[in-house]
Amino acid sequence: MKDNIKKDDIMVELRELHKYFGDNEVLKGINLKVQRSEVVVVIGPSGSGKSTLLRCVNMLEEPTSGEIYVEGELLNDTSLNHKAYQKHLNRIRTEVGMVFQQFNLFPHMTVLGNIIEAPIQVQNKTKAEAIEIAEKLLDKVGLADKRDVYPSTLSGGQKQRVAIARALAMNPDVMLFDEATSALDPELVGDVLHVMEDLAKEGMTMLVVTHEMGFANKVGDRVVFMDGGYIVEESTPQEMFTNPKHERTKKFLVDIVDGK
Amino acid sequence: MLDWGIIVHYFPFLVKAAVMTVQISILSLILGFLVGLIAALMKLSRNVLIRGAAGFYVWIIRSTPLLVQLFIIYFGLPQLGIDLGPFLSGVLGLALNTGAYNAETIRGGISSVPPGQMEAARSLGMSSGRSMKRIILPQAMRMAIPALGNNFIILIKDTSLVSTITLVELTLAAQRLIGSTYKPFEMYIMAAFLYALMTTATSYMLKRVENKMAI
Repeated sequence: MKDNIKKDDIMVELRELHKYFGDNEVLKGINLKVQRSEVVVVIGPSGSGKSTLLRCVNMLEEPTSGEIYVEGELLNDTSLNHKAYQKHLNRIRTEVGMVFQQFNLFPHMTVLGNIIEAPIQVQNKTKAEAIEIAEKLLDKVGLADKRDVYPSTLSGGQKQRVAIARALAMNPDVMLFDEATSALDPELVGDVLHVMEDLAKEGMTMLVVTHEMGFANKVGDRVVFMDGGYIVEESTPQEMFTNPKHERTKKFLVDIVDGK
Repeated sequence: MLDWGIIVHYFPFLVKAAVMTVQISILSLILGFLVGLIAALMKLSRNVLIRGAAGFYVWIIRSTPLLVQLFIIYFGLPQLGIDLGPFLSGVLGLALNTGAYNAETIRGGISSVPPGQMEAARSLGMSSGRSMKRIILPQAMRMAIPALGNNFIILIKDTSLVSTITLVELTLAAQRLIGSTYKPFEMYIMAAFLYALMTTATSYMLKRVENKMAI
């Protein structure tokens, strides 16, 4: 378990977030708070802006307007000059781990190399320290025996578990999951969801974009439904899945069940 | 038919001249690679002046003949008080020339690396420079090796042009021997054979590097 769990600690806060791609407004004023150790699951149809929202939280997408706070610190602090701003971003990014749909493992490095890279390069850990951390994490995701192979030899599920270990190696305070299981064969989804569930049980703060309603229901503390760049509805999983308030939410949940 | 006596007698002289060709090739290859890498990175800079300078360099080199470039360096610069001599002029001209082509090749390699790689590196808190060096370039180079190898081969053949600025390498040596033997066919055949030997050996080595670096 993480130390000093205080439920009222706000880990991530988005205020009036707007994002345009050209003329297309993808986020239309998003307000969201994620508290320490909370698992917030974002669901919604494709094109609803949920991935963009997630990518704003570590500034892979720069919001057009609005504010992003991570652990109380303003992330998109435009008062800083370019160099200071980059340093500021790099520092906060080490506190926010991200897992991508397409894994994005470094193909020219072994599994171990992938995991120890950032701790050595960014946190100035010694190689021995980084390896010790990496081995513990590989054990945790059930891939200790894959330490020295290259990513190309792994299955999708294994790749994603390595990617989770890589993000965890930085000892982040928040983890972002961007459709982490969407690129996987159905039979491999379970392993990855298991790892995510364990992480949630350990008290990790998580913001999860997913189509896995089972996961949202079981692991989520709160479910956020997005559509058309807005947060349409947010509630507990039970409320969301048994008694959705909005028509659009109802329709989405029905469509999902019908496999549309 | 070929006069084999001439060939046997003069072959060692041409091999000696080919050593000079190898030297300028290797020097301008290394220099041209560095120039290409720097220009490629400059072209990706956020700063419009830096990007523009690299763009101008690549444009001017690729839109003018190597021969004219060599003449400007060897015959033109002395007028400004910069007299580099045939060897340095040759190496500089070849390096700047191949550098422009390498820049495009390396830039192509960099853009062929999926954007997710940079995102993953940045999401781990790595700076853009470090991400480029540790994550993007190693992958970009692997992609670029076949095309870079092509540039290297072209460079070796292009060294024959420095014969026009009085550097005695393989081609000029052959020409001079023709002056005294009146045997152009034999001399040029030998020169061609030696060029083929050098480029083939280079191809072979590049293939090995490529296989070794394959992921």
